[in-house]
Amino acid sequence: MNYGGDRDSATICAVSTPAGFGGISVIRLSGLNTLKIFRQVFKNLPIHPESHKAYFGQLTDPGSGSALDQVVATYFAKDKSFTGDETIEISCHGNPLICDEIMKALVDSGASTAMPGEFTYRSFMNQKLDLIQAESVLSLIESRSHKSANLAYRQLMGGLSEKIEAIENQMTWCLAHIEASIDFSTEGLETTSQDELIKKLSHSKSEIDEILKTYKKGRLVRDGIQIALLGQPNVGKSSLLNLLLDFDRSIVSIVAGTTRDVVSDETIFEGQRLIFLDTAGIRTHSNDEIENMGIKRSFEESKRADRIFYIFDMSQGLTDQDNRLLSSLDLKKVTLVGNKKDLVSSEKLDETLKYIHAKAAARQLQVIFTSTVDKNSREELLKHVVFQLVNERSSDNEVLLANSRHYECLKQASSLIQQSVQSLVDGTGAEFVSLELKEALMRLQDMLGKRYDDQVMDRVFKEFCVGK
Amino acid sequence: MKNADIIVVGAGHAGIEAAMASSGLGLSTLLITTNLDRIGYMSCNPSIGGLAKGHMVRELDVLGGHMGFAADQTCIQYKRLNSSKGPAVRGTRVQNDKKLYNQHMTQLLNSQPNLKVVQGDVKRLILQNQVCCGVETQDGSKIFSTSVIITAGTFLNGVMHVGLQQSPGGRVGDLASVGLSDQLKDHGFVVRRLKTGTPPRLLKDTIDWSKTVAQYGDESLFPFSLKSSRHFNLPQVACYLSRTNEQTHDIIRRNLDKSPMYCGIIEGTGPRYCPSIEDKISRFADRDSHQTFLEPEGLNSDLIYLQGISTSLPEEVQYDFLKTIPGLENVVMARPGYAVEYDFIEPTQIWHTLETRTISNLFLAGQINGTSGYEEAASQGFVAGINAAHKILNKEKFILGRDQAYIGVLIDDLVTKGTREPYRMFTSRAEHRLILREDNALDRLSPVSQNLKLLGSDSLEVMQDLSTRRAQQKVYLKQTKIFPTQSIQAELVKRGLVQMSKSLTLEEFLRRTDVSPALLLDLGFVIDSDPLVSEAVEIDVKYMGYVRRQHELIQQAKKFEDLLLPQDFDYGSVRGLSKEEVDKLSSVLPRTLGQAQRISGVNPSAIQAIMISLKSYSSKESHHGRRTGPTSSSDQLASPDLV
Repeated sequence: MNYGGDRDSATICAVSTPAGFGGISVIRLSGLNTLKIFRQVFKNLPIHPESHKAYFGQLTDPGSGSALDQVVATYFAKDKSFTGDETIEISCHGNPLICDEIMKALVDSGASTAMPGEFTYRSFMNQKLDLIQAESVLSLIESRSHKSANLAYRQLMGGLSEKIEAIENQMTWCLAHIEASIDFSTEGLETTSQDELIKKLSHSKSEIDEILKTYKKGRLVRDGIQIALLGQPNVGKSSLLNLLLDFDRSIVSIVAGTTRDVVSDETIFEGQRLIFLDTAGIRTHSNDEIENMGIKRSFEESKRADRIFYIFDMSQGLTDQDNRLLSSLDLKKVTLVGNKKDLVSSEKLDETLKYIHAKAAARQLQVIFTSTVDKNSREELLKHVVFQLVNERSSDNEVLLANSRHYECLKQASSLIQQSVQSLVDGTGAEFVSLELKEALMRLQDMLGKRYDDQVMDRVFKEFCVGK
Repeated sequence: MKNADIIVVGAGHAGIEAAMASSGLGLSTLLITTNLDRIGYMSCNPSIGGLAKGHMVRELDVLGGHMGFAADQTCIQYKRLNSSKGPAVRGTRVQNDKKLYNQHMTQLLNSQPNLKVVQGDVKRLILQNQVCCGVETQDGSKIFSTSVIITAGTFLNGVMHVGLQQSPGGRVGDLASVGLSDQLKDHGFVVRRLKTGTPPRLLKDTIDWSKTVAQYGDESLFPFSLKSSRHFNLPQVACYLSRTNEQTHDIIRRNLDKSPMYCGIIEGTGPRYCPSIEDKISRFADRDSHQTFLEPEGLNSDLIYLQGISTSLPEEVQYDFLKTIPGLENVVMARPGYAVEYDFIEPTQIWHTLETRTISNLFLAGQINGTSGYEEAASQGFVAGINAAHKILNKEKFILGRDQAYIGVLIDDLVTKGTREPYRMFTSRAEHRLILREDNALDRLSPVSQNLKLLGSDSLEVMQDLSTRRAQQKVYLKQTKIFPTQSIQAELVKRGLVQMSKSLTLEEFLRRTDVSPALLLDLGFVIDSDPLVSEAVEIDVKYMGYVRRQHELIQQAKKFEDLLLPQDFDYGSVRGLSKEEVDKLSSVLPRTLGQAQRISGVNPSAIQAIMISLKSYSSKESHHGRRTGPTSSSDQLASPDLV
């Protein structure tokens, strides 16, 4: 993205609500010349507008003078807006044509069309947001589900930053003690014991590790859970997909091998995004080359997926072929789905269930029985997968790591703290421990987008009575 | 009309190095001091070195400075601090005979060619169009020169406080310099006040030594200077430890209203790391005792310096609390402790060369720049002396990097961050501290030193000899193998060490924490037994991993350190900078983006904004066919007068 340079003096505008028809749309105008530009299209603004106050009036085209729409304009003063620059948010009627006209009027009056993320960029540059917060604004905008929006919102409110800052604070304390023991060794200071330092640092590390553990879940919440539907041909994978999606997506036919490629689509369940990958049924000896390619891709997809629904036909039971295929999968990710429950005759049902349970137990697999004619099957399957992957030990205030850059920073910080603890245990010189700790701190500060300054010395002077 | 190429004002630790450096480079130098008897006088503690400070003394010595040799010659106690810690933070500190140090320095100046020392009180600078070209003294005489270096210490508008009584002066027995800082103020300099304090001096014979604990120095000497012999020049003496107690603290607490610091008379900021005893007791109320060292001021001196108890309480209160300290029950003070308040020039107003930005050919060094400490002063004096001389000689600027020397860290910190309290060097200020060690000062700085050509031929020889032997030893360790033979294993077992599992190079073997060069020598290998060789080599070998990591970090920082910022860059035009950031950047005018990063209060987002603006700046510049500035860091760009 090419922000900055001369671009920064531009007053930018964009339609901030999604394209399409709706009750209202919001157009945001922000930059040095916001008021000057806006007055050209809107006459009802007082000379000194009040921040956070809405003004109603007619928006006109600056060229022709013709009325474009009745709008409500909310004014945000410099430093009191999202970007930190003077901003006006125009609420107009939710019609893309009206939005276009208004945008054109603003551009004709001297505004530039904003680039993606430019408002957030300005907000960061004006120090309204730290880096984590800026990143969460972007994920909030891109959020595809309620849960993911919630996660982004929590980060925006500083949840993750707060937690990292607390850890940073604790490490700075340790570093201050180490530095004091070096620079003021002749002062007779009582700095903390080696054991205490090791304890504190190990604690910081385990806190970081706890956050790191949430990464997988954070990704799932942010990006959605990918579920591969796998199984032999014609066990009803595509029908099941349609059931899961709640609409007909895959072509269903009774001819085995109808699905040639990986079909993917998604649904939202209890605020969680779920992406299903319907795959070609797997036959070991197909003569159809295209189908064989599809089968190969099925396996690859299943490797990438967070969960695999291995689907089999209950009326056929688990065949040798099924057993062979299961053996080639990562069983930790597999849920067995016994489909076509409705085709099993009621007198054989108990026996069949018992038999399948035994088979599943032998492989330590969970099994769920479904039928595409039973609407409860959808809920049962989705509940199962959401619980397995996301809901476990979940609370809405939990801090989740969802950004790969954050993950990288924390991962490095964790291993550097580990090294520093090891150095302490080994009795390596304090200045080496300090280097490792400083690097670990730098990683945390990289994550927050701030830099290491004189915090440590300030801390030393606060904590210790030093005097040569 | 010119009386000298360079005038140095002040003959303290900064003034001496400045005058010696400029005269050493062949320029006629005139040193003006208010008191010819107090050349290189130790106004506060009778000691030189310490952590980070000792590093600077060694750096100075390798570069051709004089503090190290004087300290060695007059050393009456030698100590290597932090010897139990890692090698990068070991520091040398010596106690000195104050009188002999002063004599040594006086003789040094008097025997230096191109240098003349005179007594006089400089009142004003002679300026022509913002160029300094001489000084005017109290008696009205004018002395002309090409450049002037001011090293006025605590004398600018100095006021001494004992209790609620004040008297003008920068040190007991010497008058304050009045006039200079007002003139600088008139030229737009920001001048602020700092405060420092000194403890009482006690009469040796009135102390009951039996109630104190003797502290002896080390027996083996690693002198600061390449020139010094490895034997003590003078007899070695002990310092003595005693402690304050609750009774002492009570007396001080009851009398805080008589302390000028506490009733608001002193406005200047004191050093946080060197608090007065009043400060210690108020700020750390939970501590029931503070240590104090009784340090002799010389072999034949009757005076004892009471380290750690600087105070500005009235004399009678000082007596009251001193008598509660074990050993001091019947003590007589030769001089009470006192505080000094003085003017300093906010150091963000000088370039890395220590030349002021506003007035050309005017250099400032030492406490006038807000530092404290003899070593910090000497380092700046040296740098100012060389730069003043180099400017006249049309030679390149002398700027040491933060990855090269503590002296580089010192000056970069001052001109970048300014200071609000007397600035003292700490090892933790140096982000590259693992490679800024005492043991490798000569390895780090010998190329620079050979360029400067200030080092005497005898020192140069020692330096080259040590460098060669260290290099040879390293090659030997790398190329020689040690095999787990029966006899070697037996020797290891005999010493309770783990046996070898396979053959190794000596370098690999030495990396083991329990293997020392002495052991290698015992095992029959050819090891240079001179600790100046073996220790330095051992450290390099043992900590190679860390040292390498440190170098990597330096490389990472380099892209910012190498990115030069034009001096006419208009920070006000950069979007996204706060007003505070614009103010700070415009007043510091950083040389490089790396320096800009270190300015406190300049946020990372600002650095990004500057980088972006810089791109459009340089593209505009190149459109106009103008030079966009050199790309190397050994530049000529730093001050606009040369561009």
